[in-house]
Amino acid sequence: MAEKVRLGFVPLVDCAIPVVARSMGFAEQENIDLELVREMSWAAIRDKLSYGVYEAAHLLAGIPIAARLGLGGVPVQHIVVPMALGRGGNAITVSTRLYQRMLEADPAAMHGPRGLSARALKKVIDEDRVAGRPVMSFATVFPFSSHNYELRYWMAAAGIDPDKDVNIGVIAPPRMFDSLRNGWVDGYCVGEPWNQRAVFHGDGVIVALKEDIWPRSPEKVLGVREDWVNSNPDTASALVRALVRAAEWADQPKNRAELAQMLSAEANVGAPFEVLKASLSGRPVLRPGEAPTEVPDRHVFYRYTATFPWLSQGSWVGTQMKRWGQVPADADLNAVVRQVYRPDLYRIAVRDLDVAVPKHDWRVEGVNNADDRAFVGPDSFLDNSIFDPETVS
Amino acid sequence: MLLGCRGVGDTLVRLEEYNILVIDENPDRAAIVERGLVESGYTRVARIGTSHNLVERIQALAPDIIIIDLENPDRDTLEQMFQVSRAIARPIAMFVDQSDASMIQEAISAGVSAYVVDGLRQDRIRPIVDMAISRFNVFDQLRRERDEAQAKLNERKLIERAKGILMKEKGLSEEDSYALLRKNAMKQNRKIYEIAQSVITAFQLEF
Repeated sequence: MAEKVRLGFVPLVDCAIPVVARSMGFAEQENIDLELVREMSWAAIRDKLSYGVYEAAHLLAGIPIAARLGLGGVPVQHIVVPMALGRGGNAITVSTRLYQRMLEADPAAMHGPRGLSARALKKVIDEDRVAGRPVMSFATVFPFSSHNYELRYWMAAAGIDPDKDVNIGVIAPPRMFDSLRNGWVDGYCVGEPWNQRAVFHGDGVIVALKEDIWPRSPEKVLGVREDWVNSNPDTASALVRALVRAAEWADQPKNRAELAQMLSAEANVGAPFEVLKASLSGRPVLRPGEAPTEVPDRHVFYRYTATFPWLSQGSWVGTQMKRWGQVPADADLNAVVRQVYRPDLYRIAVRDLDVAVPKHDWRVEGVNNADDRAFVGPDSFLDNSIFDPETVS
Repeated sequence: MLLGCRGVGDTLVRLEEYNILVIDENPDRAAIVERGLVESGYTRVARIGTSHNLVERIQALAPDIIIIDLENPDRDTLEQMFQVSRAIARPIAMFVDQSDASMIQEAISAGVSAYVVDGLRQDRIRPIVDMAISRFNVFDQLRRERDEAQAKLNERKLIERAKGILMKEKGLSEEDSYALLRKNAMKQNRKIYEIAQSVITAFQLEF
């Protein structure tokens, strides 16, 4: 008898891993009857996982850490992370109007590295301030999302104070492009296909990709309740194996067109095939009507240890929570990360598979040295900073 | 005891003093919840659908309790707003008081979530959330009945169409057409409307 596992997901390209695990039979091979439920809100997924409606969930990397700390007016929940679900495909999209203003304000910045395009935004903000215009509004998908941290990182590196110089609000992913089109926000950071979709409709321009900010920033993870793992260790392992195999399948260029087809279904992502294909093929269109840009690592599901729950990535999320005042500066977040991110569960699950597993659970991030690059992928922060998790608490 | 009042210690707290906000994309369900609350003596109930200026509206209404369907994407927006806004009191998820596990389970299965201004006592929240839960369940029941009625109507239409096809293509009488559908349904252990659907599909394929 197959073990039933109910998994909640949000319609984004990185729900590919659970969708493939079900559709391509990887879950079945592990004797798991995987039931997938599409959700439109992170709060709903978190609550349904916490109270046992789901056994597993597609979660933002920061949610299990925030849940362990009881942040955001929500009671403490013990959710653990036995694996990561790839690197996502986030981007920062601005309205075509704001893009024109950025281009006029600082053409050099807009033609330089995309990671530094916020320098042009800084000039627009300064112009608005002088003219006495209201501050602009940006959106991310959740307070504890890498989107929030990436958007803030990109802004802060250009001298913008994200808490004072702009408003940053939260909008659920599938509603983002409508909000931009209706002029409710001037820009946003969200996962694909919701950037590409705005470009295809002529409503937005992508000014920075996740890989322009920090390619290794943790994105979605598999969240399961700690008590469920403890009472169902074999099922948890089987689930991880099925998802790792699905990630491997989804990562192969030859499968990407089929994957785009699969994801375009209304029960999965529910976005046009062409939009999904552009992004998944590593040839996204950044500006309406222009030729695609070659970004081979646009979506990484498996290579570069993209399914391994690196403690150093969790630790980086912790430092961003502190940086933006979501937790007190003296909180020992590395201790929390050790309870939440569980590479030990990953190692047990894949020990009999041909999966390249790192020697250590921690690493110094941002070094980007050549020996490491083939294994963990490009690793530079946009400001070339180095993140050593041992130097933070 | 006065109607609409509840004794708490030595003081009487009037139920209508709570500002309750119902946020729901479904106006019919919101109306049912609102009516239930008003009929129980809570007079200060407001409701809003999906709104891009949620922050301003909530600031203006200053709710003590927000009832919102569990799956509403606006919850993500609300939770961030509660975290950063200095203009409104910080509500907390009702699940904070976990001593009441049965209420949490009932709320989750009915699809109700609530945010409550910190400090409001659980015994004051409970009747409000209970009302929302029962009204969500009533709404669900009504919707199910309507869907079933609609499905029955569709089944009847399929059978009528299949009969029409059999009468025209096979020269059968209406009675014999129906008998043929029924016989096949019994033989294959399927519903009559399923056989009717097969008949329609089969004839569509030929043309």
